[in-house]
Amino acid sequence: MRKTLIMLALALSATGVQAQILPFLSKRDPAPPAQGIDALRADLAAQSGGTTIYYAAGNAVLGPQAKALLTAQAAWIRRHPEVVVRIEGYGDTGDTRDHALAVGAQRAENARDYLVLLGVPAAQVSITSWGGERSGLGRAVTVLVR
Amino acid sequence: MKRLTLALLLMSLGTAAAAQQPGAPEPVAIEIPPLTSPDSGTKGNEMLQIGWEATQLIASDLSQTSELKPLRITRDDYVSYPEVTAPSFGKWRPLGAKILLTGFVQSRSDGRIAIGCYVYDVSKSAELARKGFVLPKSDWRRAAHKCSALAYTAVTGSPGMFDTRIAYVSESGVGDAKIRRIAVMDNDGHNQKFVTTGDSIVLKPRFSPNASQLAYVSFADGEPSIRLIDLGSGQQRPLLRTDAINFAPRFSPDGSRIAFSMMLGPNSDIYVVAANGGPARRLTTSPGIDTDPSFSPDGSKIVFESDRSGSQQLYIMNADGSNERRISFGAGAYAAPDWSPDGQWIAFTHRDQYGRRVGIMRPDGTGERLLTGGPGDDSPSWGANSRDLLFTRLIAAGRSTIYRIGIDGGQPQQVKIPQDGSDPDWSGAMD
Repeated sequence: MRKTLIMLALALSATGVQAQILPFLSKRDPAPPAQGIDALRADLAAQSGGTTIYYAAGNAVLGPQAKALLTAQAAWIRRHPEVVVRIEGYGDTGDTRDHALAVGAQRAENARDYLVLLGVPAAQVSITSWGGERSGLGRAVTVLVR
Repeated sequence: MKRLTLALLLMSLGTAAAAQQPGAPEPVAIEIPPLTSPDSGTKGNEMLQIGWEATQLIASDLSQTSELKPLRITRDDYVSYPEVTAPSFGKWRPLGAKILLTGFVQSRSDGRIAIGCYVYDVSKSAELARKGFVLPKSDWRRAAHKCSALAYTAVTGSPGMFDTRIAYVSESGVGDAKIRRIAVMDNDGHNQKFVTTGDSIVLKPRFSPNASQLAYVSFADGEPSIRLIDLGSGQQRPLLRTDAINFAPRFSPDGSRIAFSMMLGPNSDIYVVAANGGPARRLTTSPGIDTDPSFSPDGSKIVFESDRSGSQQLYIMNADGSNERRISFGAGAYAAPDWSPDGQWIAFTHRDQYGRRVGIMRPDGTGERLLTGGPGDDSPSWGANSRDLLFTRLIAAGRSTIYRIGIDGGQPQQVKIPQDGSDPDWSGAMD
């Protein structure tokens, strides 16, 4: 668990650094379009400032930070009409199995609705819920699937 | 009802019936001489061997109940074939048994075997029940379990749970590397079978009433959705044609309908669909999360959990979605309800600062009691006798197994399964 948190923190700080550098690069010499799913994923994370949004325990309400991140993601996805993303929601620790599934789905659904509100075509965003079945509770992650 | 029947029987048998502890009647002694056979020669020896193994299984079944107590089981208690249907009561009376179970195993020309069982009241010299079964030789255990149920029902008036099955999620490994497969086994742990392959997350298996089908939740398509599997043929199909997340299936008691949760829009509501397909009908419309529907035994009502009030609580509605009303009002959250087969109780998972514990309450919300100590107990499922429950218990970080608890008292007992496990579902008595 602690290891996962540390790795998560490292991943976040890495994307933060990239997010600062990449705009400079693109000003001087327009970066070649990211190719391949891994490159696109890195680009989405870098340009948006991350892929993970967090929720307060027991609710699925989007806070200001979550909205800021989703706004940046929406801009990126609108520039990439060829991709499909899936928002994967998670429940809270200690919850019962089916309620956690529903909470995860609600978190993912609210994030999708926000992207669609910002002009992302609904067909480009699917959702799923891991409930409490995978590590990384209390959040929703935008995963580029295609 | 069962208690009343038992009390009457004890009186009619003329026993002292001194209660060992308040509310716990003394178990009724039952004599089980080895099942005999009308066959002779090699065939006869083979049938007698099956009979002896069946006798031991019946004794083992009944010794696990609190209502019956088998006396010593020995191969020396030979009973001739005619004595099966005409026992010498005088021979058994002095040995102290109130109930006698006799039986036979007979080979048939079609290769199958016939097993007959007879239950007698020794003091009255009267037959209480009899039943015969024709089945493949390899299925003798099922017939033995049915003989156990015959004796149990004759004494208690309640259905026996010996010929029931348990479906659950078999788990190996921990965390995200955990492999999960839907498993089905006999109530006594025999005949373990895996019915999914383990390449995707699976949750919450639920038997159809005759245990011929299972509904369960699979992540094989990326998002959780309900599938049906025919346990005879192994054939699978999705319950619905939809991309919407759907989960928490439960069959109606007559097997014709399945209630479940689905996310159409921003929250989970309860729907019902015919088990053989067709359009789903929405039953709840609250802005909260409604999930875990469970039918009353007559199929007219559904208990479910909803967090519409701010925390998870239990509600009952008519099976058409009308007349919703809240039944749980204690501190903490109430979730994962399961309505008992006799209609008298609703089991649930209770959640508060002490963790998750399993409890029961009456359908009108009275008589609430917590049965387990937690802190990681969940997903209670009633046995056919409406006295015992199976539930999931967390045993280490990310690892759980299955326990059994009686509502009349006692400590939870671990159910023996080959790997870790969760989400038990206990079938009704099988035909």
